[in-house]
Order: sequence, then structure tokens, then C-alpha cells
Amino acid sequence: MFDSNITLEELSVDFDGRFQLADVTWTIEPGHATTPAEQWLIAGANGSGKSALAAALAGEGNIVSGTLSGLPERIALVSYERQAELIAAELRKDDADILDVISEGTPVSEIISDVSLDDTLAEELVATLGIAPLMDRAFRKLSTGETRKVMLIRALTSQPELLILDEPFDGLDHDSRLWLQGHLATLAETTRMVLVLNRLDECPDFITNVAYVEDGQLVHQVDRADERAFGELGQLLHLKTSELEVPRADPAASLPPLDPDQPLVRLTGATVRYTENVVFENLDWTIEAGQHWQVSGPNGSGKTCLLSLITGDHPQCYVNDISVFGFQRGNGESIWQIKQYIGYVSTALQWEYRVSTSLRNVIISGFYDSIGLYTKSSDVQKAIADDWLEVLGMDRRADEPFNKLSFGEQRLALIARAMVKHPPLLILDEPCLGLDDMNRQLVLALIERICRSGEVTVLYVNHRVDDAIPGIENHLALG
Amino acid sequence: MTNYFNTLPLRAQLAELGKCRFMHLDEFTEGVDALMGKKIVVIGCGAQGLNQGLNLRDSGLDVSYALREAAISEQRQSWKNATENGFAVGTYEELLPTADVVLNLTPDKQHTNVVETIMPLMKQGATLSYSHGFNIVEEGMEVRDDITVIMVAPKCPGSEVRAEYVRGFGVPTLIAVHEDNDPNGEGLAQAKAYAVGTGGHKAGVLMSSFVAEVKSDLMGEQTILCGMLQTGSLLCFDKMVEEGIDPAYASKLIQYGWETVTEALKYGGVTNMMDRLSNPAKIRAFDLAEEMKDIMRPLYQKHQDDIMTGAFSAGMMDDWANDDAKLLGWRADTAETAFEKTEAGDMEISEQEYFDNGILMVAMVKAGVELAFETMTDAGIVADSAYYESLHETPLIANTIARKKLYEMNATISDTAEYGCYLYNHACVPLLADFMSGIKSDVIGKGLDVADNGVDNARLIEVNAAIRSHPVEEIGAVLRGHMADMKQIV
Repeated sequence: MFDSNITLEELSVDFDGRFQLADVTWTIEPGHATTPAEQWLIAGANGSGKSALAAALAGEGNIVSGTLSGLPERIALVSYERQAELIAAELRKDDADILDVISEGTPVSEIISDVSLDDTLAEELVATLGIAPLMDRAFRKLSTGETRKVMLIRALTSQPELLILDEPFDGLDHDSRLWLQGHLATLAETTRMVLVLNRLDECPDFITNVAYVEDGQLVHQVDRADERAFGELGQLLHLKTSELEVPRADPAASLPPLDPDQPLVRLTGATVRYTENVVFENLDWTIEAGQHWQVSGPNGSGKTCLLSLITGDHPQCYVNDISVFGFQRGNGESIWQIKQYIGYVSTALQWEYRVSTSLRNVIISGFYDSIGLYTKSSDVQKAIADDWLEVLGMDRRADEPFNKLSFGEQRLALIARAMVKHPPLLILDEPCLGLDDMNRQLVLALIERICRSGEVTVLYVNHRVDDAIPGIENHLALG
Repeated sequence: MTNYFNTLPLRAQLAELGKCRFMHLDEFTEGVDALMGKKIVVIGCGAQGLNQGLNLRDSGLDVSYALREAAISEQRQSWKNATENGFAVGTYEELLPTADVVLNLTPDKQHTNVVETIMPLMKQGATLSYSHGFNIVEEGMEVRDDITVIMVAPKCPGSEVRAEYVRGFGVPTLIAVHEDNDPNGEGLAQAKAYAVGTGGHKAGVLMSSFVAEVKSDLMGEQTILCGMLQTGSLLCFDKMVEEGIDPAYASKLIQYGWETVTEALKYGGVTNMMDRLSNPAKIRAFDLAEEMKDIMRPLYQKHQDDIMTGAFSAGMMDDWANDDAKLLGWRADTAETAFEKTEAGDMEISEQEYFDNGILMVAMVKAGVELAFETMTDAGIVADSAYYESLHETPLIANTIARKKLYEMNATISDTAEYGCYLYNHACVPLLADFMSGIKSDVIGKGLDVADNGVDNARLIEVNAAIRSHPVEEIGAVLRGHMADMKQIV
């Protein structure tokens, strides 16, 4: 049905110095007698380069390096940029008009017939989309939605071998949108398509593959049939595209106030030793409120050990000189008095969180620093947990059992659990460990948003350089 | 020393046996205050000793460990456990004279020796705490008059005591004050504070007596908890192999089957466990359980009688005096059984399949739980206590079998429980021989061979009513209700 691969190999494209696509390697497979053709969706946050990638397929931009091959002859592109260009061209014609007559500009009928190769279809589409009364009107006088419809008619009637539609449903009224969805579904049987959409929940059924773009790079290619990966991609888009507002704290919870002149944490000459070995010794470290820290070091250098001295989970915290949140450790305080000031996430916590309870309850358990929920929660706490689930893009899954979620989804939920009480100190111990690339990005996107909220001091442990989080300026290296 | 229980007049025996009350959370509002600032010294740094100490310290209390001089100088495991966990360690002579509270968390058989050693070192008016009353009740240990004697017994292995605390919860705990040793009337307040310090108050505390704890604990552990599961494992395995079922499958069905079916027990009692079966299977399991209860009832009664008269403890103490000859021999025999030696296969068994193909195992759990409960309450033990010592603890023991079969179970439980478990097993296997000869793979290994799941209405109603109205179900619903208020996840 479609004859050849469209192949992009390490393709870098420059768009007038405004934007660069970098090193894109991508193959769009043609269909065969037995396998349906690939129909792609390009997704990404605003400014990620998804429209640029679509435009590059239509031959726009200057290829800086790499190759782009296998493109068919007739390619149609509908995009805001194309729309804007056409209108700009019309306006230029107007400016260029030196005759003292009122210029009406090019009428719609002409704009369509200029490119149409199928006049019967054109008539049908003009009628269906309600353009008929506008046929004599100047194209540049149309509303945005009307212009968009005209652009679609141009594209659909040009008998394209590759149809590229950038946000085709945007700006269309409800009926037109439904019609277009149906029409594209039929067209998909004979025409190769690439769609660009902001939201995965609008993804038409005929789409078989999704390309995810970020910072001008093609970072994920997901097979639609892989439901888990497709779901995670949707979540990533949600976190990247929606404006995150950290949900409120529980007004009923009264954390004893901290002395603003005291550091959150002070370790003096901290040492952890076992009979056989010394993990670290004589470590001095002070964490002031508002100072984000990254802790790094090779495996076994004692990163987790150091954190657990602070959280009170390491038994040797009692034989060290440690002051946390105003408590000099080992003077009759309980670990729950310490933990109330800390939000904590680690892979180990996730392993330990094996209790069977709902996703919502896992988040509520953050109010009590417990693994599992053992206290009746208030309606306010439930509402806050639901707000967090909305932030994560998981609001419809509140009652699902936590242990049935994917590994990455669990990690996101545990970060929300750590944050739910607005702790003065948030400890993230290798929060990306064991996650695949997509989930890693999900987690980093969430953490970055949280750091920006400015309420919490973040202590972040990681040894992967590329997992750095903007906004963390202090660095402690172990080992 | 003489058996303390046997020195009591009948009315006192009955009064002590009948002591058991489920305490409400609001009885613990004073938290750990009664022990705050007091010097707590733990004797014994095994699983209970170490983990209870970790919990108490994390609750803000002052905890250190007294070890024998040799354990310190040779840096034995107990010394390592204590020091690597950041505890102060000293000899008995160094720590005990200034200790306010001494926690004796050594194995039962060392109690007499330990208590006789530490008593002269303890200061006037101090407190001695046990987590099992055997030494006081069965051996008749007499503690100095000025010393307060209490018991705080978490109803779980030491590792669970810690794990639940760290999760922010606790394990159900039994507390008691030895009436003969409560000179200042401080025993109860201290026992409550201790239960709070280990997190037990969150999961439910039973206030009981030394006598009731010992007589019910011994009964539960040697019959349903360990004995029935051991006997059931061996009989079910041999039967499946005899019926031509793949031994690797049989091994797996049993090793993980107890855990799976008793998980249902934990959530909703015998009723829920039986409800996991299809209707025809449920009726079959009910009939099998009734038959086994009739056969085994005299055995359960004999165990309870021997525990009450002190015959059981006397026999076991003889074995202690004989270097545990019998215990070690029986332990070795268990290791040689076909079930123990056959590795579980790596085939998939779904959760439901454990029920469908393990009808006899479900019947054994039902028969054992109900019989143990009935026998204990017939002997004057309060239903609350009998529930905890039978139904409640069965899933905990089943978990140990899932980990490493009978070896793990017997390694985790106390020597006292292990000794009683073997006694039960030796009597129960021959007792069930006739019954087992009529058993086929439809109730163990393969599942019922029926065309459809149809049953007679009247019969189903009758069976359901019998299951639901058993007294263990009635008290279970109440106690699980208390638990559910506190622990929504069970």
C-alpha cells in the first residue's frame, strides 16, 4: 500500500536559528500485505520540538547534518505555522497592492482550487464543514477556526501520500471535530499519516506508534499496543504540560514549629562502623533550611547510611553527635517526633511498602509516616490525597491496589506520599534507581516541580550525572 | 521449686485462667511515661531481645544490654548484635545494680539459671519483666518480694515485632502482672508503658495473667499452630505422592498453601476461608473437618490436660536435663521426611488453586482451630485469649513454612513450642491413619471432579450456619472489629 520506509538518520535541522532538531533517528515503516502501515503520533510538551519534527518531514528547515530519505512526492502539512504563513502571504499581497481599490484578497474558493486534485471531494468537504457560504469571502478575513477548516480541505483534497496534521482538532467546533475523527479513521486505510497532538487521550484508534519529543530530540518511541508504556507516556505528558500546583497541607495537622535560627540538621564527627569495617568517619555536615543538597558517591560509600542517621532509621544514630530539628538525639525523643519533619523516598521504602492497600491510602499514610494506614483518616486528608493524584495524572485510579501499579507509578505515588504533609526536609534517596527511561523522566519532572515550589529543603542522593535537578546547588561527595 | 499453678487452690486457678481483657486504645494515653528516664537493661540479645530493645529505644527509652563476660570478651554474636546497633553493653555486674527495669528475654530453658544469677544483683524495688510465664508458672520461680514482676509478650516473632513498629504499627501483645510480686502497685503502669514502647498498643493489648498466658500459649502452639501444620504437611504430601501427583507440585502446594489459605483466615476467620471454596468443595471440607474433629478431640484434650496438670512441662524439663536428647532427635527426624526433602517446583499455582486443590488442608485448619479453641475454653480459658492463641496466630506460623518449610517453622518458634509440636505430631499421624486411607486426590492435589458446582440448598444453608455460628467466629468478629478500627489494611 505504501511503498517505502521514511528514514531519518541522525538528522539535525535548523529552523532559522530559532529552533534546532538534533540527531533524530526514526523510521516510519510502510505497510505490507499482512501488516498494517505504521501511523504515527508525535507527542511532547510545548516547545519540545514536536511541530518542528512534523515540519521537517514536510521539508521545512535546513538540514544541518544527517539524512532524510524515502519521502513521497505529495506531502500535505496542516499546522498553525502553515496557516500563519498563508495568511501572512495574503496580507503581503494586500500591502503590495498599489492600486487605489479596496482589495478583497484571494477568495476561499481560489485558495482551495489552487491545490485541490479532487474537485468532487472538495465540494463535499466544503459542504460538510459549512464553508459553502464563505467561498467568495477573502481567505484572510476568515476566523481562525474557519481558516483551519480551509487548510484541512486543501490538505485532504491534494491526494497526499503523506498527510501531516499538527493539532488538527484544535479550534474546531464539536461537530467538525467528530466528523474529522471519522474521516481520518477511514483515510488511515489508504493514506500514511503523522499526527501531532498535545494530549494522548485524544489519540485516534488508528495510531499505531507514538514518538515523544523533548528538547528537539526524539527521546521515546512507543508501540501503541504496549499499554503500560503508552499509559506512562500519557502521564509524562501530563506532568510536562500541566501547571503543577503543590496541593495544600492539612490545616488540622500542627507540626511543632522549628527554630528558624537553628539548622535543620547538624552532624558533628559522624561515624558509622561495624565490627569488620568503617563506613565513614568524622563527617561534619550542616543543612540549613532552604539549602538543597545533592549527595553523591560510589556504591558502598555510605550515602544511604548517612541519610538514615538523619531519619533515625540507623541504630548508630544514638552513638553519634546528631541534632535534627532541634532534637539532640538520644535524649528521650521518639523517632516519630523526628520523622514528622521528614518526607522520605527510596527504593528500599518501595520494597518495604508491600502492604495491600489502595493508592489513595498510600498517599494518606504520609500524614502518619507509616507504611500502610492504621489510623482513620479525615475527609480533608482524603481530599488532599486526591489533589495529589490529580497532580500525578492518576486521579481516576485512587482505589486501585497500590501493589498492582507499575514500578514507576508506585514511585510517583511514594513521592507524593513523602510530600503530602509539606515536610521541612524532603529526602530522596536515588529516587530514579531501577526505573526505565520514561519513568525516570516522570520522577525527575515531578521533583523539579516540587523543588521550584520553594517550601521544602531537598536532600537528593544520586550518582547519575544526567539526573541532576535544576535548583540544587550544594554538593556533598562521599567516598 | 514446685509448679506454681498446682500450689493454687481451685478458685484461684480458675480466677487466674479466666483473666483476659481486650484493652482500649484510650487506656494508653500516658504513653511510655511510666518508663521514661528509667534505666532498662535487657538480658538476651536474640531476636526478641534485640528487636524489642530497638523499638523501646526508638520510643525514647534508655536501653542497654547485659551480657555474660565471656560473650563480651569473645565478641560473640550477641555482643555484635548489641554494639553494631549502637547499644551500651556491659556485664551483669556492671549494669544490673543500677537497672530500674530488667527485661529477661532469654529462652525458657535458661530462665531459672538467669533469674537466679541476676536476682542478687538487682537493686531494691526494681522490676523484672518476662515475655513468657513458663518460669514463674511451671517451674515455680520465686522472685524476691521487693521486685515487681510483669510480663509483656508480643504475639509475633521478634523480626515482626520490629518490622511492624517501623511501619508505624505494632503486633498484638499480651501483658500481665504477677500478683505475688507487685509491691508498689506499679506493675500495670509499667507493663502498659512497655507495650506502648514496642508499638503493641496500636495493634491491641490483652490484659491477662501469667497463668492464663502459659496455659493457653502452650496449648495453641503445640496443637493447631505448629503440631497440626506439621502433621498436615507430612500427611498431605505423602498422600499426594501416593496418588501419583508430581512431588514437586505437592511440595509447593503445601509449602505455600498454608500461608495462602490462612491469609483468608486472617481477614475473615474460618467463614471467609471456607467461603473461598466452591460450594461443593466447602461442603466436602466441612464434612472432612467434622470427621477429623471427632477423631482428634481426645488428643487435643490430652494436650490441654497435660498442660494443666504440669505433666507436659515436667516431661520437657526432664529432656532439658538430658541435654535435649529427645528434642534434637525429633528435629533430625523431621529433616529427613519426604516433604522436607522435596524441593518445591517452579510451576505457577494461582491463589485460588491453593484452595481448590487443597480442600483437605482447609479442612485441617478448620478442624485444628476449632478444636483448639473449644478445648481451651472448656478448660476455663477466656474466649479472647483462646482466639489469639489459635486462629490469630495460625497465619503467622504458616508464613514461616512458606519461607523454608518445617525447618523454618521449628527454628523460629521457641524450643518449648517445638517440643510440644513433635509430641502432637507423633500422636496425631497414627491417629489419622485410617481417615487418611480413605482420602483421594480430589480433596488434596487435584480438586473436585464434578460436572457442575450444584449443591442442595438445604445442605448449604445448614453447613454455612454451622461454620458461621461457631464460637471462634463470634469472638473473632468482635476482635477483628477492634483491629479493623486501628488497622484498615489488616
